[in-house]
Amino acid sequence: MYRGKNIQELREELDKKETIPEELFDKANRLAHYFQDDYNSFVTIIDKFKYKDRDSKLNGIPYALKDNFSTSGILTTASSNILKDYVPVYDATVFKKLKSAGAVLVGKTVLDELAMGGTGTTGHTGIVRNPWDKERMIGGSSAGSASAVALGIVPFSIGSDTGDSVRKPASHGGLVGFKPTYGRISRYGLFAFASSLDHVAMFTRNVMDCAIVTDVLKGKDINDMTTLNDDGKCYVDLVDKDIKGKKLFYIKEICGKDTYKDVDDKELRETITKFHEMLDKLREEGFIIEEVSMDKALLEAIYPTYMCISCAEATSNNSNLTGIQFGPRGEGNSVEEIMFDARTKGFSELIKRRFILGSYILQRENQEKLFLNAGRVRRMIVDKMNEFFKEYDGMIAPCSGGPASKFDSTSEKLSDRYLILENHLAIGNFGGFPSITLPFAMINDLPVGVNITGRVREDDLVLNMANYVEKVTGLKDIYSKVGDIDV
Amino acid sequence: MYKVVIGLEVHCELETKSKNFSSAPNEFTEAHNINVATVDLGLPGILPIANKEAVRKALYTSMALHCDLPDEIIFDRKNYYYADLPKGYQITQNTKPVGLNGYLDVIVNGKVKRVTLHDIHLEEDTASLEHYPKYSLIDYNRSGVPLLEIVTNPCIESADEAVAYLEDLRDVFLYLGVSEAKSNYGQMRCDVNISLMKDTDTELGTKVEMKNINAFNNVRAAIEYEIKRQSELLDKGEKVIQETRRIAEDGKTYSMREKVDAVDYKYFVEPNIPSTPVTNELISELKSELPMLKGDRYLRYIEEFKISEYDAGVLSKTRSIADYFEEVLSYGADLNLSVNFVTTSILSTLNKLEISIDELFITPKMLSDVIKLVSENKLSMDAAKKLLYEAIDKKTDPIELVKKEGMGQINDEDTLLKLIQSIMDENLEVVRQYVEDGNMSAVNFFVGQTMKKSNRQANPNISRELISKELERRKENAK
Amino acid sequence: MIAKEKLKDYANKLMFDMKDEEYTTLQEEFDIILKQMDLIGNIPNISSVDPMTFPFKLEEASLREDEVGDYLTVSEVLENSHHQVNDQVKVPKVVGEGE
Repeated sequence: MYRGKNIQELREELDKKETIPEELFDKANRLAHYFQDDYNSFVTIIDKFKYKDRDSKLNGIPYALKDNFSTSGILTTASSNILKDYVPVYDATVFKKLKSAGAVLVGKTVLDELAMGGTGTTGHTGIVRNPWDKERMIGGSSAGSASAVALGIVPFSIGSDTGDSVRKPASHGGLVGFKPTYGRISRYGLFAFASSLDHVAMFTRNVMDCAIVTDVLKGKDINDMTTLNDDGKCYVDLVDKDIKGKKLFYIKEICGKDTYKDVDDKELRETITKFHEMLDKLREEGFIIEEVSMDKALLEAIYPTYMCISCAEATSNNSNLTGIQFGPRGEGNSVEEIMFDARTKGFSELIKRRFILGSYILQRENQEKLFLNAGRVRRMIVDKMNEFFKEYDGMIAPCSGGPASKFDSTSEKLSDRYLILENHLAIGNFGGFPSITLPFAMINDLPVGVNITGRVREDDLVLNMANYVEKVTGLKDIYSKVGDIDV
Repeated sequence: MYKVVIGLEVHCELETKSKNFSSAPNEFTEAHNINVATVDLGLPGILPIANKEAVRKALYTSMALHCDLPDEIIFDRKNYYYADLPKGYQITQNTKPVGLNGYLDVIVNGKVKRVTLHDIHLEEDTASLEHYPKYSLIDYNRSGVPLLEIVTNPCIESADEAVAYLEDLRDVFLYLGVSEAKSNYGQMRCDVNISLMKDTDTELGTKVEMKNINAFNNVRAAIEYEIKRQSELLDKGEKVIQETRRIAEDGKTYSMREKVDAVDYKYFVEPNIPSTPVTNELISELKSELPMLKGDRYLRYIEEFKISEYDAGVLSKTRSIADYFEEVLSYGADLNLSVNFVTTSILSTLNKLEISIDELFITPKMLSDVIKLVSENKLSMDAAKKLLYEAIDKKTDPIELVKKEGMGQINDEDTLLKLIQSIMDENLEVVRQYVEDGNMSAVNFFVGQTMKKSNRQANPNISRELISKELERRKENAK
Repeated sequence: MIAKEKLKDYANKLMFDMKDEEYTTLQEEFDIILKQMDLIGNIPNISSVDPMTFPFKLEEASLREDEVGDYLTVSEVLENSHHQVNDQVKVPKVVGEGE
C-alpha cells in the first residue's frame, strides 16, 4: 500500500529497496487521476516520471506543488484565465530545491484564482472539494495542495500562505500546515499576491514530516532579498526536544472558555470545549498555559487590516498581467486596448473587485486613512504579540469555529460573531511569525485544527512544541479513506 | 517682458556591470533582448535584488551635489500601465530619495548661478520602443538599467542657464565617473518644465512640460521656442494650456496631450527590498573619494592661481586633465610653464594620438621634471617640446633621454642670454675684471661656465657672441 | 455609497471593465468593506505609530554585489509573447510617450 503513507514510512521502504521512486510516482499518478473528477485537486497532473537520484530525505518522494510556483516547461496558471496557457521559462527556488533533493512532482494544484480567496471555489478549472465531506469546502487558497494530501495522494505538498491560505485548509483537511518565519524559505518564483505577507508553506500529515520538508526548503537565496541567513539548524533533530516548562498563551477574546457562551452554535461550542480539554492535557505534559487579554478593537481590526494591505499590494503585484510579454493576447488596435481586453477577459469578477478595492485604498486621497492606517494597526498588533512573546514561547488557538463550511453556507462565517475567530491566523503573516496548524479534534467526524504561533526565527521551537501537541491529541497521519481504489 | 521659470528633470543612466534590480548585464548593445533577466521582463514570481554599486554611485552623486543623505535605503513603487513598463510599476524612490535639497553652482556668462535641487532619486529605466508605421517593437535590454533622476527646483531663468546647468551636470557625472552620460545613447535625458509669469505675479504661470529631450541644443531650441510661443499667447491675453509638448526636428514644439488631471501613481514602499542602513562608514568612505568638482577648480584656478579664464576652463573641463595638471604642480613645477605645457603640447598630443590622458606615456612627474629644466634655463621651450615627443616616441623617460643623449644644442638666443646673465650675476668679480681691467680672458671663462651649466648643450659660437655683447653692454652701463 | 461611474473609472484605470450588474455588486461590497475599514480608524492613538511595511526588521539584509549573473536567452525572453518581429515583441503602434 502506498496511499496515506507519510514521508518517513516511504523513506524507509525506499531505503530498504521494497519499492522504487517510479513505483511511488505511478501510484500517486493513479490516485491523482482517480480523484480528479470528484475533488479537482490538480490543474496539471504530471504523467511522465522525471527524477534524479539524490542523497536526501526527500529522494524519490512524490509531492504536489501549488500552481502559483514557477516551473520551467510546466504549465503554471495560478488558476486564472489570464495565465491559462502560461509556461514559465524559469524555476521557483522552492521547485529547484525539491528537484535537487530528488523529490518527484506529481502535479500542480488548484488554488483560488491568483491565491486571492479562502474557499477553494474560485479557480478557473472549478471548485475543490473537501475529502472528508464532498459537500464541504477544503478552504483556500491552497485548496488543491490540501486536498491532495488529505486524500492520501501525496505525503506532502507545497502551498503559499498570505493570510491563512495553508493553515486554514490544513485545519479543514486534518493536516499539518506549516508556515515558517518570513524569509526562512525563498519566495523567488512564487507568484506574488501580497509580498509583505506572502509565505511559502507546506502540508504534511505529521509534524516530523514538516521538519523534513522545511530542512530541505529553508535557506538564504540570492534571488530573494528578504530571505534570512541560514540558521545552521537541522529541525528534524530538534523536533523531539523536551518541552517541559515551555509557556503558551491563548487570547481570551479569541478562544476564552466563556467567550462564546451565549452563541447558539453547537460546533463552535464543542470546538472551544475540546480546545480547553486539550489545553489541560498539554499542561499535564509539562506545558505552562495561561490566558491573556488583548484589546478587542485591535483583534476586530485584523480582517480589515489584512484586506487593506493584501488588496493594495495585490493590485500592484498583478499589474504585469497584461498579455503583452506573456499570457493570452487581448484584441484591439492599441496597446491600451489589448491590455484592457486581456485583463477584462482574464480576471474573474471577484478578482476585479479586489483590485478595485486595493487601488482605492492606495489612492492619494485614501492612502493615509486606509493603507497607512492599516500599516499602523499591523504594527500595533505585531508589537502586542512581541510583548506577549517576551514572556511566552508561543500562542495557541483553534484555527476556526468548527469544521469546514458547506458550499451553500455562504457569508454566515463572515458575520461579526466570527470576525475574530475566523481571521486571527493573519497575525502570523503580519509579523512573519512561524505558525503551524495541526488537527486536535474530530467534530461530527470532521477534523478541526489548532494553531501554534511562535517568535520570529524560532521555527525549530514551534515544530518542537507542535510535535508534543500531536503526541497528546494522537491525531497523526490521518487522511480521508474515501474512494474505492487500492494502491 | 515676462519672467521665465524653468525646472529640469534629468535622467542619467548609471554605469554599472549589472542592472539595478537584476543581475543581467547593463551595457548598451545593438542586438535585441540579449540582456534580459526574469526580473526585467516582469515575469510572475520575480523579486527585485537591489544593486549595491548603483546605490553607492547614487549616494556619491548626491553627496557631490551637496544633498542631505537618507539614513536608510528604501524604494517605492510607482504604479502605471505602459507598453515599456513590463511589471506595471517602476521601482523608484519617493519616501526617502538618495538626496534632498542639493545645489550645483554653474558658471553662466561669467557669473555664478546656483541651481538648487529638489531631490535626487534612484530608479530603473524602462524598456525601449521602436516605432514603425503600423506597429511598435519592444526591446527589454534597457528595462531595469539603473537611472538617477535629478530634479531641480523651478529656479532656472533662461535657455542659457538651462544649457549651462546641463553641461555642468554632465561634467559632474563624468568627474565622478558614475556615468558616461552620452546623450546620443540616451544615457542622459531631460524633461523641461517651463512657465512664464509677469514680474508682478506672485504665483507661477501655467506649466508646459516637454519630455525626454536628449540633445542639449534641442533643450535650448525648445525653451527658446516656448518662451516666444507663450509670450505671444500672453501678449494677446490668451491662456497657456497645461499640457505636454514635444520638440520636432524643425525646432518648434507641438502639443502631445493636455493634462486633464494629475495621474495618481499610488506610490507605496516596495516590500521586496528590505531597508539597508546608510552607515557612517559608507558616508566617510564616499566623502574621502569625492573629487573637487569642475566649477570649484575653475574658480580656484582663476582666484588662487591667477590663470586666465580661458585656460582655467580648458584645464578644469575634464577631471583627468585637471588632476594631471594639479599633479604636475604638486612636484613643484612652475605654474605658468605647467599651464602652457598642459594646454598646448599635452592636449594637442592627446588629440593627435586620439588617446586619453591616462594612456599618455608622459606622467605628471616626467612633465614636471622637464619643466624644471626649462625653468632653470637648461632647456628651451622648443627643445623641451621636442624632448617630450621623442620620449613618447621611444617610450623612455625624458630625463633618461637627456642623460643618455644630452639635450641637443641650445641655439635659442633668449634662452642662452638668460642663462649667461644668470651666470654673470653669480660671478660679478669676473665681470668687474673685464669692465674695469679689460681682462679678455673673462670671455673664455664665461663660455666655459655656460657650456658647463647647460650640460654642454649651448651653441658655443652663439654663446661666445652673446657673452661678448653682454660684457660690452655691462661695460657701457658702468660708465 | 460610491457612485457606479467612479467605480467604473477606477476599474478602467486598472485596465479592465466589468458588467453593469457586477458594478452593482461591487457598490454593495464597497459599502460593507468600507464600514469594516472604519474599525481601523477607530483604534485609539494610531497616528503616532509608524506604518509597518516589512514583517520585521531584517538586520542581515544586504544589497547585491554588482556582478553579472543569470539571465535569459533571447528565445526565453520572447517565448511567451506570441508576437515577435526581429527578436522584439510586437505590439500595435504606440502613440504618445511613457513617463
